[in-house]
Amino acid sequence: MNQLKETTTGKKFWVEFAKGIIITNPVFVLVLGLCPTLAVTSSIDNALGMGAGVIFVLLGSNIIISLIRKITPAMVRIPVFIVVIATFVTILSLVFEAYIPPLYESLGIYLALIVVNCIILGRAEAFAQKSSVLYSIADALGIGIGFTISLLIVSFFREILGTGSLSVFGFTLFSIPVLSETPMAFFIMPPGAFLVLGLLLALFRWLGVLKNE
Amino acid sequence: MEKENNTDRKSAGSKILASKIYPLVFLVVIVLISVSLVMVIGNMTQAKIAGQRDAEILKQLNIIFPEMTDFKYLDQYYEIYAGNDVAGFAFTVTGKGYGGDINMLAGIDTNYNVKALTILSNTETPGLGTRIEESAFTDQFKGLGLQDISLSKDGGKIDAITGATISSKAVTDALRGQLEEIIEIIKNGN
Amino acid sequence: MNNSTSLITIFIGMVLINNMVLAKFLGLCPFFGVSKKLSNAISMGIAVTLVMLLASLATSVIYNYILVPFNVEFMNIIIYIVVIASLVQIVEITIRRTNILLYNALGIYLPLITTNCAVLGITIINASAGYSILQSIVSATGAGVGFTLVLIIMSGIRERLEVAEIPKSMRGLPVAFITAAFLALAFMGFGGLL
Repeated sequence: MNQLKETTTGKKFWVEFAKGIIITNPVFVLVLGLCPTLAVTSSIDNALGMGAGVIFVLLGSNIIISLIRKITPAMVRIPVFIVVIATFVTILSLVFEAYIPPLYESLGIYLALIVVNCIILGRAEAFAQKSSVLYSIADALGIGIGFTISLLIVSFFREILGTGSLSVFGFTLFSIPVLSETPMAFFIMPPGAFLVLGLLLALFRWLGVLKNE
Repeated sequence: MEKENNTDRKSAGSKILASKIYPLVFLVVIVLISVSLVMVIGNMTQAKIAGQRDAEILKQLNIIFPEMTDFKYLDQYYEIYAGNDVAGFAFTVTGKGYGGDINMLAGIDTNYNVKALTILSNTETPGLGTRIEESAFTDQFKGLGLQDISLSKDGGKIDAITGATISSKAVTDALRGQLEEIIEIIKNGN
Repeated sequence: MNNSTSLITIFIGMVLINNMVLAKFLGLCPFFGVSKKLSNAISMGIAVTLVMLLASLATSVIYNYILVPFNVEFMNIIIYIVVIASLVQIVEITIRRTNILLYNALGIYLPLITTNCAVLGITIINASAGYSILQSIVSATGAGVGFTLVLIIMSGIRERLEVAEIPKSMRGLPVAFITAAFLALAFMGFGGLL
């Protein structure tokens, strides 16, 4: 009996986890959190940094909001969520500034803007305030990783087309001979972000991964 | 309101009172906890953040003056030593760019010509203004004296980056202004 | 504080070059959500501009007279978001009590604005640029005008797109993104203006 309960708990954990990555992928399916998806995807490094930051904040806020869900008055729940999220974002931004200054510089204002990332407040409202801590962790990890993967997909195309090479934390993985000498800088500039995301959405719909409108 | 039953109050009178005061108290407590937490972490990281900047400057000084054996910080500028000789000077400059401050470090030789200019940080428009970091732009400053440091359209020798005139001008003008001041200070000091 | 950047430069820069939507990617949700009809676009633009202006005024006073003197600039995220959330509430209540016509036109957009990253974005941009109170007000106005301008242009294009023959998988968001890409490209042309 006990074992059965354990396996279902374990199973539900993985279901909640996997859901965020594919079925409710925040960027491509729910089309949330667009601002960082476009702004920081000019390189893989930035995408990884932003992804890690969002996972940290999402995990922290989901855990705290789930822990205090029984004593939080419904009337002030949104302000409470916002304050909790803002606290984690401030901590994240201070830690980045102190320990990884180059990343802090290149993420710029978008690090602070994690506060208004609809994904995080959305998970607090739709999931963490109604669910146990364990499932809230699963949800945070799933959604966070789903978000990071989306960022990586977009930045993969933008970095290759815009610089002609692909590098992670200073190590060049590969570089395309002609393209790296005359890269299409358009793709790492703002218009390139819109174009790549638009074409990717269309591609996923055409392939049948996403539903048509 | 559905969560009110969680507060578990005894009498109806105090329940109404509590239901009005409790949410407010709860919010204030959350805010206080979060502010104190951030203050603690803020104070812990401030020293480290200040240290980062010094470490970055030292690293850049070593790149600009490979022969450097020692340096001295003299209030507004760094005096660079190679053995017992003064090899040059360096100073930080802050320009007002388009999206905010552009922090730079400039090294000059003993004739007050620019040895190198490094952009330490900036928040310019990605792909446009951020190109001031590229060596294609900063290398233009090498060897220039005070009179040549301005954009070519203003009669100097620096070509602005296409589409990022403001950022280019901010860097150039800030450097010229600061260099003029530093030369004055060094000459008066000697 | 610093007065080296002229007010005109800040304003034009915010409207055309550092446009909130096309260059900074802020306020995208209303950009793609509301921009389907011209009248909605104008109302949303005005509401956002109003809140941006008030938020920038409030936060730059706090920044210049509290955060900087006490050396606690790192508290800005928490304080700003609380200020903006309260401000939106106050504006909503005031408009509802004083001008019901205006409330009917703008009311439904106001709650959305709390989590509109453009509003928090402009206050943080002002702080990181070290703008004075006057400069902050000018930059917020510019940001609001720029946002409204792009929203109006976009809604005009999208009204046309509704009747256009578009491949199935491109309909809706993908084509809106691609349109935004070309708009952003066009706006990059303003980069040489200053």
